[in-house]
Amino acid sequence: MIAHETPPAIRIADLHHSYGAKPILKGLTLTVRHGEIYALLGGNGAGKSTTLNALLGFIAPASGTVRVCGTDPVAQPRQARAQMAYVPENVSLYDHLSARENIGYFLALAKADRGADAIDEALREVGLPADAWDKRLSGYSKGMRQKVAIALALARDVPVLLLDEPTSGLDPRAVLEFNRLLDTARARKVAVLMVTHDLVSAVDIADRIGFLADGRIEEEREALATGARFDLNALHDRYARAGVSA
Amino acid sequence: MNPLGAETRLFLRSGRNIAALLLLLVLSATAVWAGIAEVANQRAAIERVAQEQARDLAAVEDANAGPQGDAGYVAYYAFMLTQDPPPPLAFAAIGQRDLQPYLLRVRALGLEAQLYDSEAYNPELALPGVFDWAFVLIYLLPLVVIALGHDLVTGERETGRLRLLLSLPGDGLWRRRAVLRYAAVLAALVIPLLVGGAIMAAPAGGIAVLILTAVLYCAFWFGLTLLAGAAMRTSATAATAMVGCWIMLTLVLPTLGNAAIARAVPVAKGIDLTLAQREVVHRGWDIPKEQTFERFFVSHPEWRGREEFEGRFHWKWYYAMHQVGDEAVAEDAAEYRASLERREDLTRALGFVLPSVGSMNVVHRIADTDIEGQLAYRDSIAAFHARLRAFYYPYLFADRPFTRADFAMIPRYSVRTAQGSLGVWPLAILALAALLMIGLGARRVSRLGGEGSARTG
Repeated sequence: MIAHETPPAIRIADLHHSYGAKPILKGLTLTVRHGEIYALLGGNGAGKSTTLNALLGFIAPASGTVRVCGTDPVAQPRQARAQMAYVPENVSLYDHLSARENIGYFLALAKADRGADAIDEALREVGLPADAWDKRLSGYSKGMRQKVAIALALARDVPVLLLDEPTSGLDPRAVLEFNRLLDTARARKVAVLMVTHDLVSAVDIADRIGFLADGRIEEEREALATGARFDLNALHDRYARAGVSA
Repeated sequence: MNPLGAETRLFLRSGRNIAALLLLLVLSATAVWAGIAEVANQRAAIERVAQEQARDLAAVEDANAGPQGDAGYVAYYAFMLTQDPPPPLAFAAIGQRDLQPYLLRVRALGLEAQLYDSEAYNPELALPGVFDWAFVLIYLLPLVVIALGHDLVTGERETGRLRLLLSLPGDGLWRRRAVLRYAAVLAALVIPLLVGGAIMAAPAGGIAVLILTAVLYCAFWFGLTLLAGAAMRTSATAATAMVGCWIMLTLVLPTLGNAAIARAVPVAKGIDLTLAQREVVHRGWDIPKEQTFERFFVSHPEWRGREEFEGRFHWKWYYAMHQVGDEAVAEDAAEYRASLERREDLTRALGFVLPSVGSMNVVHRIADTDIEGQLAYRDSIAAFHARLRAFYYPYLFADRPFTRADFAMIPRYSVRTAQGSLGVWPLAILALAALLMIGLGARRVSRLGGEGSARTG
């Protein structure tokens, strides 16, 4: 009898990709399991955005394998994108719509009609004050906009969350709130891949941290089961050695 | 909510979109209203002149009728009204009707001296053309399309939403957005036309052709806008490129094309024919009458032997002079007409290359307000004038008295039937241009999947 295992949420194996003559990814391999938060750290040009592009099916890799819940994002982009929600670095939604309307609109585009209650529930979950739900986004702070984007991702109820520099530009309190949101996602068994420069934020929330340098994962560290989750000093040294400032 | 419903809501929540659509709706409605007003003015003018004409003819009858009435006097004083009432679709495409006469009173004298005897118009006022629905379609519609469509893609890229939109599993986003804008623009343009058509009781077939032209012309501009919007990196460059296209396709190239046509096919002025005809008539006073009659008998041999008269003057000699005058310039008149037709042919050919000119040709042809319509009116005047001459000549050459009873028999002008026709080839070419642009635009947009990879590293 053959045992069928659930495929990992994200599986990238020996991925190579170049932009023109410039190689960016040179054999990237990483796996993110369901319910795991994976922080991908790397400096500028290390290949973080290219990794996200490959997962989103925006680029066709030269070689290697990319799978999202077992689906190839290039061969089956619609099916793969139905499994994941992407939160860009600078969250930009429609300023002339309210939070509710924005989420309703993007859910409709994603053909994920969850109903008004699901939208309200997601907004409540991300901690956006209820009196702001029907206000236009033009008056929102960056943190509030990000909450709307996360609420959209939660409302879509997908197994994979891709976050591009999620804490960039957030104040410390907003970062804490954001981490709480990721805890919620983890509790829902959502796999989170966050691409970031922010070592401290990664240390606070990630289950695993991968150092991306020269187009591949140079080193991976897993959160400790007891005590401090990561040795921040050691990580900082590691990060600095990779030529990146934390 | 379904994606189209969501898209519609998003579209209608944008103040800019609503403002652009309202502007187009107001412009289209104003143009239709202006067209209806112009048609009403022309009809009122025809009605007014027809009443005056009846009074005028009655006065001529009172002055000249009698047992021994002279047909020569009657033919000289009795102007007969010809008219070209606005065709049913003129309210939408006035065309040449604001420049060319739609009323002309003619008598049995030389035709060429009367044919171009219309009111002079101010050329500076005529230069911008008339503000009608066709003007809104050809010149203003593309600007609204550009306003609504130039940043369809670039706007999303500039605000940073493009990657998020492309990361969603749904498909057909750009198609929905383009079709929604297209439908909204067409509705704003066409609704006033439908209302105007109902008010004017215009034929449904003609209105359908106008709408079909709008559908294709609008599709051409949407395709072009989609192409530029997807190919350019920023909204500013896309808008600049599209406004450049608008200037070239609707203003510069048609103007250059018309200038080239005018240069290639010089057309004499109608007034030159008038002067040439008058010169022949005036010379007739100074040459022996026999010479005039001999030339007259070439076309009217049936009156040979009836030319003798006593005294120095007789109407038959006078009308023969006018007939000869017309015949003397017949070749020039034919050449003049052929030149106008040649220009019209070349303008149609230009329409195969320039969608703006092609669309203009289609709407004016179906409305019968183009040069072809004007020439048809002139032809009907010429035919009527020939009937007038044929009516009077037996009185003049057979020395028959013109009695009161004969007044009722003077031929009356029959209004020509509007002969608007469907420009199948121009429409087919326009459809091809629209399909080409839509295809190119859609192809460019379909490549946007890779656009999400604009960020590298």
